[in-house]
Amino acid sequence: MKPIMLQGHERSITQIKFNREGDLLFSASKDVKPNVWYSINGERLGSYDGHSGTIWSIDVKWDSSLFLSGSADQTMRIWDVETGNCVSDLEMKTSVRGVNFSYSGTMVAYTTDKMMGHHSELNIIDIREPNNVDATPIMKTQVTPTDAKALAVLWGPLDECVITGHEDGAVIKWDMRTGKKIEVGTEHTKQIKDMQLSHDGMMLITASKDTTARLWDIATLESLKMYKTDRPVNSAAITPLVDQFPHVVMGGGQEAMDVTTTSARIGKFDARFFHLVFEEEFARVKGHFGPINSICFHPNGRGYASGGEDGYVRVHVFDDAYYQFKFDF
Amino acid sequence: MPSAGAADEVKSSWADEVEEVEGGHLPATVEKNDGNSKTIIEYSLNDDGKKVKITSHYKIEKHRVARTIAVRKTWRKYGLSKSDKPGPNPATTITAEDVFMHFLSNKEEEMNEQEELKEKLINAQKGQVKCRLCKEDHWTKQCPYKDKLEPLRTSLLGEEKVEDDQAQAGATPADKANKIGGVTQGKYVPPSMRDGGSKKGESMMSARGRDETATVRVTNLSENTREQDLQDLFRPFGDISRIFLAKDKNTGQSKGFAFINFKRREDANKAIQTLNGYGYDHLILSVEWAKPSTTQ
Repeated sequence: MKPIMLQGHERSITQIKFNREGDLLFSASKDVKPNVWYSINGERLGSYDGHSGTIWSIDVKWDSSLFLSGSADQTMRIWDVETGNCVSDLEMKTSVRGVNFSYSGTMVAYTTDKMMGHHSELNIIDIREPNNVDATPIMKTQVTPTDAKALAVLWGPLDECVITGHEDGAVIKWDMRTGKKIEVGTEHTKQIKDMQLSHDGMMLITASKDTTARLWDIATLESLKMYKTDRPVNSAAITPLVDQFPHVVMGGGQEAMDVTTTSARIGKFDARFFHLVFEEEFARVKGHFGPINSICFHPNGRGYASGGEDGYVRVHVFDDAYYQFKFDF
Repeated sequence: MPSAGAADEVKSSWADEVEEVEGGHLPATVEKNDGNSKTIIEYSLNDDGKKVKITSHYKIEKHRVARTIAVRKTWRKYGLSKSDKPGPNPATTITAEDVFMHFLSNKEEEMNEQEELKEKLINAQKGQVKCRLCKEDHWTKQCPYKDKLEPLRTSLLGEEKVEDDQAQAGATPADKANKIGGVTQGKYVPPSMRDGGSKKGESMMSARGRDETATVRVTNLSENTREQDLQDLFRPFGDISRIFLAKDKNTGQSKGFAFINFKRREDANKAIQTLNGYGYDHLILSVEWAKPSTTQ
């Protein structure tokens, strides 16, 4: 396969995300401008100019009308995807780490860092009027008592719960209405780098620095499967075609600070494909010359995109070999 | 640089074109679009002031998509891409080198491979080691039926010739008798006392003399030729008693010539008539009567 290489960022990629149909690919990096691309040919539609700090997390509304970015400049911004204009600029007390639209697109959950005497918080706001957002959260929870900051946030099914992944490896499911913990998964031993839902929203995959990724049942927050590697996992995704090709893709590599001291050959920067059920690796794809920070499947399952510490986003479309591969068990 | 006069005479010479660029004129961008593909030829000056011609080929694909996606495709670009032309900007979008999904063979396959290897090894050993008593692939000394079979075999040897009897070919009937009596095999027998020692043995000379009457020499064989190939090639002409293919000691590859001993002279003659000048393996064979070696 011939990947398309997107070269729109000056610093390492922090997160990439497809919209619901998969025709747009959003990318955010440690520089201040998130980009949006046409995934089919890699043409850049535009960039969102306005932030003044690292973009930690992005999300796009289901109808691709609004784009959300959480930044280390202590703001969260809502953008119009069509024009690239900032619709709403919400100031926070500390930097925003994780952002996520609810399934309905009427609410936004975001987490803030623990900084300058402020605690790490999980907040939910109503954005039904994006031009005039009331910044006072409709639900506000301190991420206590562990107080390990929440790095990733996701909405559960029917917008009834919110799931956060924490710095100490805990995965916590919160009740949307009461703001109380429902379940806590403590299987991971080190920080959660990324969380993604399965296509039907019933399963969750977490990528952790403890060199594993785990598959969780959202309803019970039970760890169903574990995918073991030999390096920190920065991102993991479940294919939308999970019934025909039960695959999981994972990206990672060693710590960003060690990258310059190892060659790409042994740096293990490949995207690794695991069988969802048998937890066994069956394929690898090389390409990045830094660890992969964010990886996701195209919503039609016919390809995937990965963004790396090297600042590139690579968009892949699978060859026939991928579909013809038979997993022996 | 040719003189100005020469450049004038030949209108479309390269020198002409160089002249043009030095004058500061860059040819206009040419764009061809034939529905399925688009070719853009652009000219620019690089850092050294040299003219660079960039030809970009695009394949135009048509996709049928949902209305919302089609609408999104018509949006105007903004932000950093505001001034980009329609289509991917080569500054931000690059087609990367071909990468392949590297499939890892799983454990079972590895196991199978190992087993295959083992089997191969065993098979290879089978050919090399053969018990003289029970014909299985182990050393005679380690034969589990040694105690039972050995006395039986030695007693039988007196009457019957066992096929692979070469190891004991030298033993005289007297020796055999001794063995039945319990004497071990390893006893030294002087050559003159051995079986056939009294009569004139088949000398190499005679063997050759017999063979050479019906021996053909094949030259100009390719390096990859093997005995089997020669067998296939010459067998149709008649019974072959021996094929000798000259091979390199180290590499095992053919040196390009071979001797074929036919049982009958007529067959050899037929082979020469037919195969001399025959194209085989991209080479033309030369087949002729083998000359008697000069050493004789």
